[in-house]
Amino acid sequence: MSASPRVLADALQRTIVGQQGVVEALILGLLANGHVLLEGPPGLAKTLACRALAAALDGEFKRIQFTPDLLPSDIVGTRIFDQHESRFSTVLGPVFANVVLADEINRAPAKVQSALLEAMQERQVTIGPQTHVLPDPFLVMATMNPLDAEGTYALPAAQMDRFLIKVDVSYPSRDEELQILERFAVAQTQPVHAVATLADVCAWREAAHAIHLDAKLKRYIVELVAATRERETQYVDYGASPRATLAIAHLARAKALIDDRDFVLPDDVRAVAPLALRHRVGFNFRVTTENVGSSRVLDRLIASVPVP
Amino acid sequence: MPASAQDLQRLTVTRLTLSANTVAPKVEGPFDLVVTAHVRERVMGLRNLDLPILASELDVLGDEHSLVSDANGTTYTEDIRVVAHHSGLITIAPVTLDAIDARDGRAKRYSSNSLALVVGGGVLAATQTFDLTGVLFAALRWLLILAVAVLLVRLLAKRPRKPPPAVVPAPQPAPVPMVRPAATREERLRDARTVLEAERTRQNVLRIRTIVREMVGASDAETLADVLRRLEPEERLMRALLFALERAAFTHDDDLDHAIDRVILRLNDLAGSPA
Repeated sequence: MSASPRVLADALQRTIVGQQGVVEALILGLLANGHVLLEGPPGLAKTLACRALAAALDGEFKRIQFTPDLLPSDIVGTRIFDQHESRFSTVLGPVFANVVLADEINRAPAKVQSALLEAMQERQVTIGPQTHVLPDPFLVMATMNPLDAEGTYALPAAQMDRFLIKVDVSYPSRDEELQILERFAVAQTQPVHAVATLADVCAWREAAHAIHLDAKLKRYIVELVAATRERETQYVDYGASPRATLAIAHLARAKALIDDRDFVLPDDVRAVAPLALRHRVGFNFRVTTENVGSSRVLDRLIASVPVP
Repeated sequence: MPASAQDLQRLTVTRLTLSANTVAPKVEGPFDLVVTAHVRERVMGLRNLDLPILASELDVLGDEHSLVSDANGTTYTEDIRVVAHHSGLITIAPVTLDAIDARDGRAKRYSSNSLALVVGGGVLAATQTFDLTGVLFAALRWLLILAVAVLLVRLLAKRPRKPPPAVVPAPQPAPVPMVRPAATREERLRDARTVLEAERTRQNVLRIRTIVREMVGASDAETLADVLRRLEPEERLMRALLFALERAAFTHDDDLDHAIDRVILRLNDLAGSPA
């Protein structure tokens, strides 16, 4: 391994002001081999973060703007008839890239969302008679805008579950916004240079996989997920699936790797648990009507489980 | 012979008294000594209750005891029927009960009050004839008893008033080895280091981690990061110890020995190196 994941984080932070949560989530997703769902208003550097990540990895970046008239073939690709050759040839869609930004994923109808989510899950796409393997690493970052609900197609729970992480992207602080003004108003943004290779990413993933997760922490993770099914039942319709248990374990190992440790601490589990649980817990209407907030309920759920 | 620690019952003793069913027993007139004990626990018996060795002036005629358990605990009552053959003052030693106090886990000897009885004159025999000498002797004896009684009353009046003679924990006897909690933080950390040096196991690391977390007031819901956020910056050594303990608690087996070395080092920093 020539570089460490921390180098990648530093490279992204040189381009993106603030949004440490987003940067860390992207790297965690990359190391844990999962996909990231970003929810936040427009203009919060979501696209910039994805572009910067692809550039820092020297990988290929594609952006798909989801619209109501998008077709599955616009994402995965299609077969076209070549009149000169008198045969069908395959044109691969934008999903064939290392880092794919699915912008406003909830603006496309369910069959288009399904096409992308299937590709995310299977890491391969079948076009006609041929199956094409997606490049490795393959990271999808989907965004959702919480403000304009009109004309959107909400992602079903089963599809939300496919995302390893969901990040709520919030507005920057005043200081961060001042920094944005100074950095971006003066000149063209500094392009991100590659600080790691795609091979490095594969090596990091192997290293993350080998990180020690103590039995006490495995039990802690199980208890955390069980708490989402058993506690705060007045605000929760359904709890997280076992996929959340696996997600927390993968993410905690990735977090330990970023912090340059070869063992996981309870702090790692606690830090990544909201990322893995936020979109997997079914909060009911009382969270809104009683103005409690799903984040607060989730925090209470997590805090209710004793730390080992 | 005092009971060993293993034999002692774990009890919350709320009452232990010794009384008599009469204030003026008569010579050759049977009367009852009553031992009453109450404990909060529901028990089948009181194993280490020692009754007084009665003075030679009293003969035991019979003994009856009962045990009643209810929601409030168990009440033990023992009636000892005795008879006095001579008049005069009789002092009966306290009843004792050895038990582990359920409130603090320490072995204690509970004592009842002692009892002082003045036995009065007996029944005259039917065949006894009247004679002056006998009357004088009887009058003299009564005067003597009266004088002793007055003396006793005056002596008792001079003594400082005591609280009701219920449960009086006696001074701590030595038979039960109790682990004395270390008084200071340094002492506790030194104890922890001794334990860890003697037995370098993860189990001991976890025990010490629990103790140290208690020292810094960490709750069950707090992770290391939460605790470190609360600690003052000058608690640098404690921060280092907490992190060393966290590593030793969760690292892989290959690293455990190094991690324990680090914990011992940090304990030395905080508690002082061993002499």
